[in-house]
Amino acid sequence: MYPWRGEFTLGNQDSQVAIDTLSSRLDFPPEKVAIWGQHKTENLGIEKIVANIVSNPNIRYLILCGDEVRGHRSGNSLISLHANGIDDNGRIIGAKGAVPYIENITPESIARFREQVEIIDMIGNSSLSDIIAKTDKLATVKKPPIGKPIIMEFVEREKTSRMKSLSGKISIHKDLLLDPYLDVGKMDQGADT
Amino acid sequence: MINFSTEQRIIELGDIKIGGQPGELPTVLFGTAFFGKKYHQPDVAALEEVRGFIRAQEDLSKMTGNPSIVDIYLGDEETMARRLEIVMEALPSKRMFSVDVPESSIRQQVLRHASEIGISNRIILNSFNLAAEQAEMEVLKDHPPGCAILLGYNPRDFSVDGRMEMLESGAGYLEKGLMEFSKEFGIDKILLDAGATPFDHSAAETLRAIPVMKNKWGLPVGCAIHNTVESWLWMKQYRKEHKPEYLTCDVGSNALPVMLGADFCVYGPIRNAPSVYPFVAMVDKFMAEGAEDYFGVSQDENHPRRKLG
Repeated sequence: MYPWRGEFTLGNQDSQVAIDTLSSRLDFPPEKVAIWGQHKTENLGIEKIVANIVSNPNIRYLILCGDEVRGHRSGNSLISLHANGIDDNGRIIGAKGAVPYIENITPESIARFREQVEIIDMIGNSSLSDIIAKTDKLATVKKPPIGKPIIMEFVEREKTSRMKSLSGKISIHKDLLLDPYLDVGKMDQGADT
Repeated sequence: MINFSTEQRIIELGDIKIGGQPGELPTVLFGTAFFGKKYHQPDVAALEEVRGFIRAQEDLSKMTGNPSIVDIYLGDEETMARRLEIVMEALPSKRMFSVDVPESSIRQQVLRHASEIGISNRIILNSFNLAAEQAEMEVLKDHPPGCAILLGYNPRDFSVDGRMEMLESGAGYLEKGLMEFSKEFGIDKILLDAGATPFDHSAAETLRAIPVMKNKWGLPVGCAIHNTVESWLWMKQYRKEHKPEYLTCDVGSNALPVMLGADFCVYGPIRNAPSVYPFVAMVDKFMAEGAEDYFGVSQDENHPRRKLG
């Protein structure tokens, strides 16, 4: 469960509630909440949240609270993903965040996320008592677990080029070799790079 | 330390210069002002604090020789004009400043406003990136800023090639590359941002992209590598009890791009200027000595190498 690393705390895995505190640091009674934590970015951060939520079918409510993340508009972007999904280019439809693109999770997981959780928009509210009261209320509105866990492994991207040092030159990239022994005088004649 | 066989352009941004061969000119340092909750509806004290930060950055710039740019965070329409005024009042009349505007709709308003009050030539747009909507393209065409930072962030491919693809071709997100769009809009002063990504998301490719981009295009290149430190998961816990150590990592990260030839660093909150300027000046001294002894690249009297004997 919860296959993607992130800045989160685990509570009761049978709880129906997950909480995204955006830029605010808040802690909750672990028996009441399945997983909670901060959330910085409108792209990679949202991918982590989706990957982790679909891995626990018990989670049926996602509370967004705390202060919105300036610039990134991560809360707005997550709500937009839930409401509208992404376009053919991976852009979250309607999101106001700086670079709201989703590229590392499957369409299946996005669809499941949208179906799995109801979003509770409490953005701007950092009152622990308000959020816990809401959590308690949600606990009384029982929903059955949704299907099986979807576990997405975080896959490091395939590199486009891998190089080693060659003949005393230092390779930085396939298009750029540094030659520490190069005669500087030759540079005017156009050195090989 | 390193030298490129391709010609490296030096660009004049108002009263400062940027670019050239590594070690030739001091690293230009961008400090961000007005980022934080307290500046949303700031009281007099908060505004005076910002003025103080700008003065401090300016003084440190004079002391070290590292040119300074104020990077103005603009998150909404309401505070835009006042923030621009405050910064312009505090800066020399020719100095350019960058505007960090995450939202496309606000970017459009900033560009229009700058044009209306006749300051477009002082604006460095931070940044022109894949999220520019069609409406923003139209505004850029009608009201181009004096300079734009093109962001090599490609969500589909964090490799060096992917980052360069965003600049060259639009990487499938845009119909053409950010460079070509910029030329069409008449923005002839271009800086390239390698697009810092977090650890485990090809963070090192950010650094690798710097010499590769410089080698290919000969334009000034830099990045905001402190963001990689800021997003470091382990550090987020550690810094709660170890603020000075976090600052060491945050400030120290700026050595990495400069060592690889970067021309500018967007170093984060302007309040960190007192730590950042002497540190980057030191790295510049190393780079300058290494540029002269092997490559004959000399520095003028305003370089930290000369000023900070």
